[in-house]
Amino acid sequence: MSRENSNNSKVEMSFRIVNSLGLHLRPARMLANLTNKFESDIFIKKNSEEVNGKSIMGIITLAAAEGALLKVTAIGPDAREAIEAIGKLIENKFGEDE
Amino acid sequence: MKGISISEFYEKMKDELQLTLVAGKDGFNRRIRWPEINRPGLALAGYVDYFAWRRVQILGKVEITYLWSLEPDVSRARIAQILSRKVPCMIVARRYCALKQLLEEADRLKVPLFRTPLVTVDLIDRITVFLDNEFAPSISLKGNLVEVFGEGVFLEGKSGVGKSETALGLLARGHRLITDDVVRIKLRERKYLIGSGSELTRHHMEIRGLGIINVQKLFGAVCFREESQIDLAITLERWDPRKEYERLGIEEDTIRILDKPVPHLTIPVRTGRDLVLMVETAALNHRLKSMGFNPARALDEQLIRSMRAR
Repeated sequence: MSRENSNNSKVEMSFRIVNSLGLHLRPARMLANLTNKFESDIFIKKNSEEVNGKSIMGIITLAAAEGALLKVTAIGPDAREAIEAIGKLIENKFGEDE
Repeated sequence: MKGISISEFYEKMKDELQLTLVAGKDGFNRRIRWPEINRPGLALAGYVDYFAWRRVQILGKVEITYLWSLEPDVSRARIAQILSRKVPCMIVARRYCALKQLLEEADRLKVPLFRTPLVTVDLIDRITVFLDNEFAPSISLKGNLVEVFGEGVFLEGKSGVGKSETALGLLARGHRLITDDVVRIKLRERKYLIGSGSELTRHHMEIRGLGIINVQKLFGAVCFREESQIDLAITLERWDPRKEYERLGIEEDTIRILDKPVPHLTIPVRTGRDLVLMVETAALNHRLKSMGFNPARALDEQLIRSMRAR
């Protein structure tokens, strides 16, 4: 991937929470640890509420239960990679539910 | 060499136990190799199988009056029988008069014999506490030990990361220093980790740029304690952006000191982080957790409940 293309791109994608306990503390920590690895700014929106995707306290205020739909936005040089990684973590149920 | 010699024992305990040497002064190089005491009643009565000769032998009312009741040649033979094993020393409690045979045999077989005015139970208690402490597993670790809100906090980390400066800041806020730089740790009663400092340097700290300071002179007696239990270990380290630091505190990390688990935190150091405040908060939070309240767990439960309710 060339630098020019990836610089400050904006990528948006929606994900549904599939683990039965929802986005509680442990998944929130996994998500924040993941998002902090990326240079891009990351935002997560549920309904009308949008929070900083790098903040644990932000993520848990969403109280995203199983079935909730989250719109994740990444803006920055590694936005695409960030979105892909976040999607994988959510789909894999944060390693919960077996 | 393992154990403690009778001369060391006498030096350290003669005041507390009010010991007087009455016989066997040539046996001061004998060693106590076992942190327990024995009352040799059965052995004096003639049953010497399993006689615990390695232990400090205590003669109380029962033993002394029993010896008095025997024929002189019988008591001499029984005494010789037990003293010819490598008993470290004997102590007669309650200011009892040791009989002549006992004094003579102790001299002949070079077994130190002491007398004390203490009652037997009191004597046994004090010796046991002393021996337990002397024989306790111990280790010296680099770092410092501070008492913060009553919690003993062992601060460790690489040289130059700010351990001493943090301890100094805590002192200035009214907390107490036990030792800076090297902590001697003992495991008391197989349960408690107790840390202390070296007698020579324990009032001193070395602060880069200031040199050696005497904290007791600077801050007064209130800032100082001789020893403290270790309740919490904190590692200070330079912030590593690639490392994931604890963000919740749901699970408890521990390190092992003398094979005992100690709750442990790693606090990354970075400009703008007030380490004194961080350590104070860590100590308070640990206190709260040991009272059974884990703030992260409580929040997690509340969060899960509120998600279910929707």
